[in-house]
Amino acid sequence: MSKLHADFYADAMTQVEAVITEQQLIAEETYRVRVSAASIASTAVPGQFVMIRLASRNSPLIGRALAIYDVIDDSDGKPRWIDLVYIRKGTLTQALAASPLGTQVTLWGPLGNGFSDRPCDRLIMVAGGIGQTPMLLLGREALGNQTFGDGSRQNGWASQVELIYGARRESLLAGVDDFRNAGFGLTLCTDDGSVGEQRLAPDVLAERLSKLTSGETVRVATCGPEIMMQKVAEICATAGVDCQVSMETPMACGIGICFSCVAPIKMDAAEQDGSEGWDYKRTCVEGPIFDADKICWH
Amino acid sequence: MNLSVTLGRLELKNPIMVASGTFGYAREMQGIVDVSRIGGVLPKTITAEPRVGNAPWRTVEVSAGLLNAIGLDNDGVDAFLESHLPYLREIGTSIVVSVAGRTQDDFVSLASKVGQQDGVAAIELNLSCPNVSGGVDFGTNADSCRDVVAAVRAACPVPILAKLTPNVTSIADIAQGAADGGADAVCLINTVLAMAIDWRKQKPMLGNGMGGMSGPAIKPIALRCVHQVASAVSIPIIGIGGIENIDDVMQFLVAGASAVQIGTANYYDPTLSTRLIDQLPAALAELNASSVADVVGTLKRS
Repeated sequence: MSKLHADFYADAMTQVEAVITEQQLIAEETYRVRVSAASIASTAVPGQFVMIRLASRNSPLIGRALAIYDVIDDSDGKPRWIDLVYIRKGTLTQALAASPLGTQVTLWGPLGNGFSDRPCDRLIMVAGGIGQTPMLLLGREALGNQTFGDGSRQNGWASQVELIYGARRESLLAGVDDFRNAGFGLTLCTDDGSVGEQRLAPDVLAERLSKLTSGETVRVATCGPEIMMQKVAEICATAGVDCQVSMETPMACGIGICFSCVAPIKMDAAEQDGSEGWDYKRTCVEGPIFDADKICWH
Repeated sequence: MNLSVTLGRLELKNPIMVASGTFGYAREMQGIVDVSRIGGVLPKTITAEPRVGNAPWRTVEVSAGLLNAIGLDNDGVDAFLESHLPYLREIGTSIVVSVAGRTQDDFVSLASKVGQQDGVAAIELNLSCPNVSGGVDFGTNADSCRDVVAAVRAACPVPILAKLTPNVTSIADIAQGAADGGADAVCLINTVLAMAIDWRKQKPMLGNGMGGMSGPAIKPIALRCVHQVASAVSIPIIGIGGIENIDDVMQFLVAGASAVQIGTANYYDPTLSTRLIDQLPAALAELNASSVADVVGTLKRS
């Protein structure tokens, strides 16, 4: 494929009408919604997302990109439902939060590339705000507790998984019990010290990386506010640790056709002639997961 | 049911096309719809040189609509011919290449270069992009419109479609200019110039300030434009603007469009285009039509 083509077209996606089967408020303004979507549940891998909108309504019009938080099996052990976690904020998420069980939604996915499954001794996940949503599946796969997709991905590829999860205050932390039950080492950080440590998640990461045992291979995955991910990326670069970031640029289609969700990405050396070394790339089909050293941070 | 349509020198197997800028370069949609079934595919507009496009945000949702200011982000004509056209010419349907330039010479050189390639069924002149300077001028002056179409027609061997902006006082005058210049058809409408504001930040929401509005909210404007042009100009019309179901398609045909382009709906209902092709015969049959042409421009006076 030419350099001008993206790497992760939505060739495996399906568009489905799905029904909301569960929905609950799990933190301040934060909802967890479950929809029946076997075709998506059975193919999704950690770090991928779906587009969701309310069926048969054209206002709100455009789908909203949400990371897949959990995949739930039916009684035969086959993936049947997906869970999404979102903050009630814009028109679509307000309407979604107000939707009763049984409401039809339109979903398409899974979309995007997903996190790397390259083995390491320790996986450290750094999340801020609502950026914890892709981490449950990633950590479970890394520990070997759940498999995803067509079976081609590695499983149990890290012996230790830790989540450093920051939010402004305790009431905004969503899914803490899920992360604890999944066996992740968990460090909570709040800006106001209402729970956990009163410092920023990247500062905790810096401390961890300063105390590595020699020979220990560590990988970092991060999702959250861009300023946090930039700090994480810088800390990892200094420590010589591989880092992947999940970019959350506003999307309109999720499948690469609208060119809205672009982020400035460093070009490969072969592509650099005639430009300043970067180009806007669509995060939906080139990402949303990028190696941190490829991002042109502002 | 005969679904084929004739637009000047351009023949399509059915009237359901997909609009430029809303279907990527078709490769993106390969796993989502059977692109070979679509009447005509328009890849994202190309320019002579690569364009990085506008800074984000590039799209903002409004009530039943979408504002965009992408800024013709594309890799330039040479990259298009090398990387995208070889794939496009194999997908099994008519490829209409959308081109944009700042000057008449830009349009002529681009259209002649692209029009000479195998596998290009027609050229659409994007005379109406609101998000780049100079892009819109040819669409707002009937004489300029006529001249650029005529110059392209003299240099380009394939059919020419002129895509027009609704942001004018009289779109029928501009369409007449395109017809006088020798366009095979006019495409109505491009986006409606619009704006969204974050009042707390006291800033526009789009990175480029203003942008083009599309989606269901603009369909009545598009229908009005198609009706006005159909009443005044004799060349075929391709209707565009907010189409999201078969009723919308039929409204455009009755108003006077010989074909339609699906645009923003590709973003929020990616499998729509081929569903519309499935649904079209039954809708035509409701009007006792045996072809698409039987219903085109059949609007009665109220």
